[in-house]
Amino acid sequence: MNWATRAGVHIDRAACAWLIRRHVDAEARFSFVADPADVPADATPFDMRGVSLGHHGGDCSFETILHRYELTDPILWKLAEIVHEADLADERFDAPEAPGLDAVLRGLSMVCDSDERVLEITGPLFDGLYEYHRRARLNGRSPA
Amino acid sequence: MGGCVSEHDGADGTGEWVLLSYRLPREPSTPRIAIWRKLKRLGVAQLSDGLVALPADARTREQLEWIADEAMEADGAASIWLARPAALGQERELVQGMADARAAEYRAVLDEAAQVPAAGMNPLAAIRRLRAELRRIGARDFFPPPERDLAHAAVQALLDPPQTDRPASAAAPRAAQPPKEPS
Repeated sequence: MNWATRAGVHIDRAACAWLIRRHVDAEARFSFVADPADVPADATPFDMRGVSLGHHGGDCSFETILHRYELTDPILWKLAEIVHEADLADERFDAPEAPGLDAVLRGLSMVCDSDERVLEITGPLFDGLYEYHRRARLNGRSPA
Repeated sequence: MGGCVSEHDGADGTGEWVLLSYRLPREPSTPRIAIWRKLKRLGVAQLSDGLVALPADARTREQLEWIADEAMEADGAASIWLARPAALGQERELVQGMADARAAEYRAVLDEAAQVPAAGMNPLAAIRRLRAELRRIGARDFFPPPERDLAHAAVQALLDPPQTDRPASAAAPRAAQPPKEPS
């Protein structure tokens, strides 16, 4: 399936792309557009103004996608709290990782020459974050 | 990268600003209050009723765009504009107003920090709270006033007594004028 989002990806879009590829559509292909009008006809837009997979009712797009695709994995919802705080910083959740993740993503967008490159790097980053929180949940405490 | 990256021209000309014009129904009041709180957290300059501004960059534009969507979802109306003040003096006033608003917030932190030793509070708890407050203020501080460094230093001093041989804070102060690339 084809998916489209705004160019110049940051935390919410990078996390959504990871989520889509890992949990919604393993064959996902992404395109990055400057204007909502440029979204290809066959692509599902996300994290853009006026689309259904965007910010809604105080949720960031990552949370919206979890709701929409009925993903109930509690680890994904833990990641959603981090992405929410990194993106919106509205202190709805306690996510100490968020400011650091925000800084890392901002820095990556400065040194990467394409959005594809940002996704290449952030893929393993979100895999790691997921695994860390999966083990934390299993052990009932922060893993070594 | 960064979608719409616009630039402030610095001292010689006015910079680009992103404007949100919005209107919301009087009732229900919940979405109105939610939006007002979000705008306050972003540190917008209020130009008039239902018209707010931030220095334009990819991030501020996105932040105001999501709020525009939220206003429309609440049966209101909203539009986003990119604009330049027509006169330099007008921009200076806008910048000064935003810097003054942040200065007042930093002064509140300074006052609170000054009370910590006297009140016999646990300094660590106070430091944590004040650091979080400084982070919140910093996120909306586009034109840092001198009070910024004073407030940071005062909170740090609660932890370590001031030492003359310590290097200055690693956080370089931002220029108190429209920067080339507002961050």
